[in-house]
Amino acid sequence: MKMFGLAGAALAAWLVGLASARAADPINVYTIWPENYARPMFQEFEKQTGIKVNFLRFSSGEALARVMAEKNNPRIDVLFGGPVETFAAGIKEGIFAPYKPPSFDKLPARFKQPDGMWTAIADDPLVFMTNGAFLKTNNLKPPASWNDLLNPAYKNGLQMADARTSGTAVTRIFSVLEVNGRNEDKAFDYLKKLRQNVQVYTKSGGGGTLPTGLGQAAGGIFFIVDALETKAKGYDVVISFPKEGIGTSAEAIALIKGAKNPEGGKKLIDFATSPAMQSKLAEYKVNFVPAHPDVKTEASLAEVLKDAKIFPIDEDYAGANRKRVIERWVKEVLPAQ
Amino acid sequence: MAQAQSASWRRVAGDPALLGTIAAIWILLLLFVLFPLAHLLERTFVDENGLTLAPLLESVRDPGHQAAFVNSLILATAVGVWGTALGFLFALTAVRGGLGRHWLTVLDAAALLPLVSPPFTTSISIIFSFGPKGFITHDLLGLANASVYGFWSTCFAETLTYFPIAYLTLRPILAAIDPNLEEMALSLGGSRWRIFRTVTVPLAVPGFANAFLLLFAASLADFATPLILAGNAFPVLPTQAYLQITGLFDFKGGAVLSLILLLPAAAVFVAQRYWVGRRTYVTVTGKVGQRSRNRTMAPGVAALLCAACFAVAALIAYFYALLLIASLVVAFGANNSFTLHHYEVIFTEGLPAIRDTLVIAAIGMPLGGLYGVLVGYLIARRRFPGRRAMEIVAMINYALPGTIVGIAYLIAFNDPPLALTGGALIIVACYVFRYSPTGIRATVALLEQIDRSLEEASASLGAGTRETFRRVTLPLIAPAFFAGLGVVFIRSMTAISATIFLVSISWMLITVRILENMTEMALGPAAAFSVFVIVVVFAVVAGLSAVLARLRAPTGGTAARSFLGG
Repeated sequence: MKMFGLAGAALAAWLVGLASARAADPINVYTIWPENYARPMFQEFEKQTGIKVNFLRFSSGEALARVMAEKNNPRIDVLFGGPVETFAAGIKEGIFAPYKPPSFDKLPARFKQPDGMWTAIADDPLVFMTNGAFLKTNNLKPPASWNDLLNPAYKNGLQMADARTSGTAVTRIFSVLEVNGRNEDKAFDYLKKLRQNVQVYTKSGGGGTLPTGLGQAAGGIFFIVDALETKAKGYDVVISFPKEGIGTSAEAIALIKGAKNPEGGKKLIDFATSPAMQSKLAEYKVNFVPAHPDVKTEASLAEVLKDAKIFPIDEDYAGANRKRVIERWVKEVLPAQ
Repeated sequence: MAQAQSASWRRVAGDPALLGTIAAIWILLLLFVLFPLAHLLERTFVDENGLTLAPLLESVRDPGHQAAFVNSLILATAVGVWGTALGFLFALTAVRGGLGRHWLTVLDAAALLPLVSPPFTTSISIIFSFGPKGFITHDLLGLANASVYGFWSTCFAETLTYFPIAYLTLRPILAAIDPNLEEMALSLGGSRWRIFRTVTVPLAVPGFANAFLLLFAASLADFATPLILAGNAFPVLPTQAYLQITGLFDFKGGAVLSLILLLPAAAVFVAQRYWVGRRTYVTVTGKVGQRSRNRTMAPGVAALLCAACFAVAALIAYFYALLLIASLVVAFGANNSFTLHHYEVIFTEGLPAIRDTLVIAAIGMPLGGLYGVLVGYLIARRRFPGRRAMEIVAMINYALPGTIVGIAYLIAFNDPPLALTGGALIIVACYVFRYSPTGIRATVALLEQIDRSLEEASASLGAGTRETFRRVTLPLIAPAFFAGLGVVFIRSMTAISATIFLVSISWMLITVRILENMTEMALGPAAAFSVFVIVVVFAVVAGLSAVLARLRAPTGGTAARSFLGG
């Protein structure tokens, strides 16, 4: 009977998930980078420091919602990867603790939050990606200008992300604003025209890559990391850049306020913001552009980016107008079909 | 009124087994339904200045939300009607079509496939088949630029996904209708069509109402299908709520939208109570004679029904063949050479998720079945104060969109003393309280057909509540028990919307891995996981029906043969 009681208590503890202290003090992380990108980085970290990383992957919105809900009793130490704007939203919710890693001073201003609430680990430019067979049958060149995407040949053929869920979409919309000299009416005029060629706006930034690879969609606007991954999978896709230029967004990392293992968490931030991790990106074919100035962009990635005109999205401008612009997009562009 | 009230109090107080059960169920409902809901309401309607209705008013005024509300109702009604019709077609064919045992199994299997498949799979098959380059629209019919996103595809996918619920609800009811009744009508000179209209259909009315209610609620709460298929021209509330929370980081707005969803769910529930509540449908009495062989369906009609069912079954089979192919090729659509690599991946990297999911499903299954039958029995058979309230509270988690239930659980159970997040218990509880309402409804519908006199006879022979329940009622509602248990198991293997917020570093679920694979464009492992889930669920369900077949005497009717006891 006593045995049963003991076994029952053990079972109950196991099911309820009581934390049991472990020697190596592992750290807990939510990653917004897909697992196939994040896992090798965490393995490298384990190899170098001996600290185990327990991690779960969420989309940026889900990760943030979760960290917010867990605010009073945080379950993780670090939020890893994901576009800067997710982190900007997190600052408002008071979920991060400031920390400036050793690389902090070396990074350009757009790769860090002044108080150390987040630090960038990589850069991720947008690209146009089109289906090779589609271009061939329609006798088209890969789109080389924003206006090329307005070609009626693409009617009902493009897929790109929904501004309500995806950082990719927000970067895209602010790119359009920039190339239109921040003339909002002009930019929205373009976005409404583009809407006519959009088959569907997807939840996640990479949502349209597989349909484009399979030819269900003609193409779309994606982050380079997703586009190159599609290509690497063997799908017939073509990557191109608009001559007017296109935006890029930084990927960040942050320490969680009230983390149970802040020391371990800081070590991961040190690692991720330094060449220690970013020099490994190329090795594992993770096609982010390194944020640290000492890490060189891998040759084949640099080749793709060679003649591309890429500009960072002005953070102050985007931060001040993000909410209003997205709301306008939802009200004016989404229904404009 | 007050007198009746106190009389029923006294009756309950005099029956310790009953009192204990009621108290236990209320404690569970308080803890796992009302407590999280209260947390959610607090987050929504309380800010620094105290109580505020501003988020609600703001949300209601938004024309986009109004459109989404109307769209949700249209979609849910359409799915409710079509799904019930399709479920009835399958149930009728299964019970009256005169099909052989093996054909019946085929029909059951096809009907079960959409129900047991992980999220997104039907939607993705539909896009592959009916999209701009779809196998059916483009390759077969030669249509260029077919549009797959919008109301029709969403309605189609949801109907196909949820009609098995109607089938499972209606089948035991049709099976339980004493054929002698119809036989009598036939020998009194009624035409077959007239009998169908005036005897069979009215007897199935509680089933229709229940099936419609379940489908309506399922559609209202479904966010995965519209997320993929509704496109941008047909926004619905659950998707809007999800986007509001995960996209605009607007928790209050999302919670408000979800609470608005409760209104139509509650309305249908009340309407159903009112509509069904006034009729009696007793067909199982203590006085059943020898069952006659069914002759109430003309052979031509039966053949037509069978043909229709098998056409639907073939379509479903085709969708899942696509899935199987995707799991066995290197990269679907790009490199179609055969490989087992994806299965290797899921049994190595994916093994923890498989193990955790199976443990959770195995724990949740019996608990869910028991809970469903107990609550259903109390609601249908017992008079006690707060019965209606119990019925409504038990339905809440089912009617709320999963995203909201997940977040409510996360908020409510994150802090001590009830810090359940990070464990398996919270996931099990979420499944049990979210998916047992199917078992509850099935129990209620079945009990409404069974004459109370059977239990009264037992009671008058001196058996107590517990004894009567165990020896008389329980065998009679065994099909509902297995239906409820089966649904909880199936959902534990396939649901995602709520539990995506409850998985943790130590407890992972297969469905979350599938979503993750989809994000990584790894269609192969996603398909392999899906195939694995389907195989496991089929094995368990087949096992369940074998157990059920042994449990029940051969005279128990045709239901004994079928999956899920229904």
